Amino acid sequence: MSQEIEITGLNKSFGQGAAAFHALSAIDLTIATGEFFTLLGPSGCGKTTLLRIIAGFEEPSTGALRINGKEVTGLGPDKRPINTVFQSYALFPHMSVAQNIGFGLKMLRKPKSEIKATVAEMLQLVRMEAMADRLPSEISGGQQQRVALARALAPRPRVLLLDEPLSALDLKLRKEMQSELKRLQTETGITFVFVTHDQEEALTMSDRIAVMSAGEILQLGPPQEIYNAPVNRFVADFIGDTNFLSLRVKAIKAGEAVLELPGGKQASARLPASISPSVGSRVTAVIRPEQAEPTPAGQGEMQAIVESATFFGTDTHLHLLLDDAQGFVLRRQNRPDQPSPAPGTNLGLTFAPGALRVLED
Amino acid sequence: MGCAVAKARFSINRLPGFGLIAVATFVMLYLPIIILVVFSFNAGVSQSHWDGFSLRWYQAAFNNSQVRDVSLRSLWLAVTAASFATILATLAALGTTRVGRFPGQTMIYALINQPLMVPEIVTGIALLIFVAAIKVQTGYTGMGYLVAAHTAFCIPFAYLPIRARLETLDHALEAAAADLYASPIQAFRYITLPLMVPGILAGFMLGFVISLDTVVITEFVKSAGQDTLPTYMLGQLRRAVTPEMNAIATLFLALSLMIVTAFFFITRTRGR
Amino acid sequence: MRGHGWKWLLCTPALIVLVLAASGPLLIVAVYSFLSPGNMGGVVWEFSLEAWFRVFFRRDIFEPDQVAWNTAHLQVFWRSIWLSLQTTFICAFLGFPTAWFIATRPRHTRTIWLFLITIPFWTNLLIRTFAIQEMIRNNGTINAVLIWTGVIDSPIQMMFSEFAVLLGMAYVFLPLMVLPLYAAMEKMDFSLVEAGYDLYASRLNVLWHIILPQVKPGFIAGSILVFIPAIGAYVTPRILGGGRTMMLGNLIALQFGQGRNWPLGAALALLMLVMVVGALIFYLRVVGRSDGVRRG
Repeated sequence: MSQEIEITGLNKSFGQGAAAFHALSAIDLTIATGEFFTLLGPSGCGKTTLLRIIAGFEEPSTGALRINGKEVTGLGPDKRPINTVFQSYALFPHMSVAQNIGFGLKMLRKPKSEIKATVAEMLQLVRMEAMADRLPSEISGGQQQRVALARALAPRPRVLLLDEPLSALDLKLRKEMQSELKRLQTETGITFVFVTHDQEEALTMSDRIAVMSAGEILQLGPPQEIYNAPVNRFVADFIGDTNFLSLRVKAIKAGEAVLELPGGKQASARLPASISPSVGSRVTAVIRPEQAEPTPAGQGEMQAIVESATFFGTDTHLHLLLDDAQGFVLRRQNRPDQPSPAPGTNLGLTFAPGALRVLED
Repeated sequence: MGCAVAKARFSINRLPGFGLIAVATFVMLYLPIIILVVFSFNAGVSQSHWDGFSLRWYQAAFNNSQVRDVSLRSLWLAVTAASFATILATLAALGTTRVGRFPGQTMIYALINQPLMVPEIVTGIALLIFVAAIKVQTGYTGMGYLVAAHTAFCIPFAYLPIRARLETLDHALEAAAADLYASPIQAFRYITLPLMVPGILAGFMLGFVISLDTVVITEFVKSAGQDTLPTYMLGQLRRAVTPEMNAIATLFLALSLMIVTAFFFITRTRGR
Repeated sequence: MRGHGWKWLLCTPALIVLVLAASGPLLIVAVYSFLSPGNMGGVVWEFSLEAWFRVFFRRDIFEPDQVAWNTAHLQVFWRSIWLSLQTTFICAFLGFPTAWFIATRPRHTRTIWLFLITIPFWTNLLIRTFAIQEMIRNNGTINAVLIWTGVIDSPIQMMFSEFAVLLGMAYVFLPLMVLPLYAAMEKMDFSLVEAGYDLYASRLNVLWHIILPQVKPGFIAGSILVFIPAIGAYVTPRILGGGRTMMLGNLIALQFGQGRNWPLGAALALLMLVMVVGALIFYLRVVGRSDGVRRG
């Protein structure tokens, strides 16, 4: 795979001196051609700033940015083979849908016939043929979203940047547009750089995800890796739900730590290379709520008492209290033949090897 | 939401006497104007005794060459001053809106809004003194003084709607244009300027109406033979007036009303 | 980022016109107030404090050392302030219910009522003053109606009095009170009024404790918008007040006409400007304070 975007040693700060705000620090990132790449993080983590730097709306303070092997820092957004789908869509209110889609080609001085053909093709691509002559104010939010997409795709950019494009849509429409986006990306083969704070959106759509916080990339990898092997507490907490347990180290051998579980039983978990706790100290360990299973009381690795149960339709969340009074949430799939245990019930917990992980704080 | 408002209105509406005072206020506001208009169609000379319908006073007004002169001068002055003011205000709005704070901004605002704060009579005599001094120096007695005075006076009024319009424009629109390969000049030409048009139109209309209404400043700045319709009327009001004045006032009112209505619709529909 | 030069460049043409035809002349007025009057109007370039002295005092014609208060001027100042305050009060009294009436109409009819208030706002002040003159002249509408109905035998003299000026100013400046009041009411949270009634407040309590505090900024803005042009009024007192019920604006104009005392006129104009700026500063302080309370 060739490399579409290469970012090396990129920093961005706003303001100067002591009052300077470091929006991005030491970003190194390579995005491959044709990849669906997601920048994921809470608001204020720097993901939008990074996107704006790639688009050319902001200049990095230091560092290099290459697109398709060509250095682009210093080039304005109108000189980069990149288009953006804005969070607010930013459709030109005084132009029809077709004029909006054709705007980029017009600015590129393409012949009229080519513009007309491409606009027709794009309208078809986003299934908006019937709306070509409408004004943006005359179509729905979801349709505006499609027009914004078509407009950004029409000049056939090398890279498409999407800044939280689905955040203004309601849940059902959002789901629909997620698969629509994925389809468009596959059909066009264009590199997508997608910014979102919605971890579920990131997990379902991306080839790779960069989890960001406070201007840094904390973890970079495919969705499965991010979910199953978060590198630290922040990532584990931000992606999905997690039980955090504070456990004592009994022994350390060959990159694995033997931990004392609540109730006294022991279990081993792999230690990340970045931490080396001493025997007797406490470490943070995590188990995903769906990766533990209830057993009859007295069996399993840990013992717990049910505090409350919350019904979620497909599953029920059992809020448990472990032997040493730490809380634990267990996600249990609902089946008509197995009613969920009532509050006050004692039960045991078991989990697969590998489900228990030690994390950097 | 609509339901909540309706309910609130139902209970609040009963603030004692408010409706009565409000209706009385509207009647008081319009009754004198309506009577003025009605008697412009009076066949007799009286402005309090109805002698039947006639258009004779309109005929008289149209045949009065002095009225024709001052009306044309007023219109010419309003168009000229409003045009200059709109161009200057548009540039100033582009320089002061959506650009972040910059040194001297407060001073620019103060200068632009100054004609709104200073009483017209003060501006009027200030210009009288200034113009008298220039006249002595240059000997020029043309319409330039009135054009400059009216332009300055119209700038804040033209500036307000243009600025308001610019402020509602989404920054992302220009970013999107740049993203779609438009140069800064193209982005202005194809995006910003067309979207500013309602504000610019509204600004021109306000400037036009303001210039047309200005009487005090004109009174003190004008040279001999430069009467506008308002200063002509002000002069005539000292004498015994005939319904011809009602007819002139009615035509004047109709023109203002047309412009205000157009302004109202332009600013109302600009939302989306 | 880039320099601020281009912003200034865009503002420059407007600023040049404003400085030449609005702000600059004010400075010349200040200078003229310290010069001596010329015989036929204009000034003699000699420094003098006489104009400022004459604003408040006058000398005996035969014995220039005999100094007395210039009661004629003081009377005009007092009349200007008093009539302006009364105008503000009348506009508030009529404007509040009117703005409330508009604000409580259903959305689509509200626009029409608002339009009805806006029309007089943009129609010529001269014409509106003329309309009032037509009403209150000796052979005007009111007297005609009163005589016709037999209430009176001979016309009541209403023109050329403080009453006439007050009526005219309240009439022409009323929209300036209604519009900011309406703007404040439109922003008002009507559910607070519901909450007030819900918590057993009487109508008067709701008006006093809930509505008034919320529309206070609109009240203050409206009062200032009425008071400032009232202090500066020239056309309305000239037409309805005549020579004997002059206001400050007419006194200033007089110095440039029959009075032929430009320095005195300049000094009086600056005095008016001081009053207006004083009112504005008062406004900014009051509004600033109430905003602070709101945020706190």
